[in-house]
Amino acid sequence: MYGRKACQLVTELASGEKGQLTHFNSDLFEQVISECQQHHLELQSLIRKVQEEGLDLQTTKNEDHFGALIHHLALVRNKRCLMAYVHNRAETIRSLIWKLLGSMIPPEIQEKLSNSEEEYFKKHSARLKEYMSKLELDLTVDMVPPKDPYIQVRVLDDIGEGIVLSDDKTANFALHSIHFLKRTDAEQYISRGLMEELRG
Amino acid sequence: MASNLGGASISQTDDFETFTPTTDVEPLKRAWRNEKAAPEILPYEASLVGRIKEQIQAMEDSIEEYSRSGIDPLIVSLYQMDLDRIQFLLRSYIRSRLQKIEKYMLYILKSDELFRRLSKEEITFTDRCRHDMKKHFDESVLSKLPNNYQDVLKQSITSEEDDMVPEPPLDTFVVCKSKEYLEHIQLEDEEERASSRIEEPFEMEANVLHIIRYRPIKSLVESGRIDLL
Repeated sequence: MYGRKACQLVTELASGEKGQLTHFNSDLFEQVISECQQHHLELQSLIRKVQEEGLDLQTTKNEDHFGALIHHLALVRNKRCLMAYVHNRAETIRSLIWKLLGSMIPPEIQEKLSNSEEEYFKKHSARLKEYMSKLELDLTVDMVPPKDPYIQVRVLDDIGEGIVLSDDKTANFALHSIHFLKRTDAEQYISRGLMEELRG
Repeated sequence: MASNLGGASISQTDDFETFTPTTDVEPLKRAWRNEKAAPEILPYEASLVGRIKEQIQAMEDSIEEYSRSGIDPLIVSLYQMDLDRIQFLLRSYIRSRLQKIEKYMLYILKSDELFRRLSKEEITFTDRCRHDMKKHFDESVLSKLPNNYQDVLKQSITSEEDDMVPEPPLDTFVVCKSKEYLEHIQLEDEEERASSRIEEPFEMEANVLHIIRYRPIKSLVESGRIDLL
């Protein structure tokens, strides 16, 4: 049945958790694309048939015309589904970029992206960085409204010693150690999952 | 600017007004709230952002001077907190604009009115993003489709207008209030008005909260007469 596979693709997207990526379903994706090409072949052969019968394409309303129309509509629908799939994934990718700016693509995300998506991830991150350096404003900090300039954090991963903070002091972020830091200093580690905020 | 600020206010640190010389914080808060709540991008507050940036710089300088001259760290941290809040407002304001651009760039690029609302940097950003996104779409989908179906804006070459451009939901509901008494607000579209017989002009008292569709009050938000919350 026409359009069934494209529908599956979109359903997969809709049933996924919002803001989370699933593996790019290239298998199904390619199937929909080849379905599109099939539709196009049929469409062209029907149009040729009408022309061979010497009828005017614009005014003829016989069964071949409607057959061609159905192939056209099925193709357009498939295109919408494919674009919806890529477009919505791109949106999720962008929201991830906001959280991950300044760091590499984590492997668990990278394996879920298609080649083109990975390329897009890198390019778009670069665009945001360009914009920020032009404005001389770091947009990746202050993601939540500040309550207190200092927060207490626990280190979840061995970040290492000799990390220079904004007040020119160095700190040793050993695993499980607890620190009282400037929120702006800690935020980048929290967003990368290397620290967690302790709330009283 | 920074030096006279720092010097003058050291002697009277308890006087808050000397710390934030001209307060652009309220207008920034307003711009930020409107930008957050509006479904489409609003005009860029270029001069406001410029002034706020200068003020942030001045505040940073004086905070540094305070902490060097041995003023009670508690007071310094209070100033720091105030500065942090302003910086959050500015960053969040710019972020929500960028996120709208990311989402609706094709729509913004099509509309002269919206395009004029962007700052110079935002225009560069939009252009490049469009380029990257188009490349991504081309590689993933469009180049694999038959010839007549490869346009990113149109479903096929038979479409008369661009029918594949995501648009901001202008009919979404927003919470808003007016600063003054407004009357004769047209809530329905032309078509709806023709079909419904009862037509009551809508009015808004000052400072009363309303939940209302964005589209009818769009121009009033743009002219600054209605604020979104």
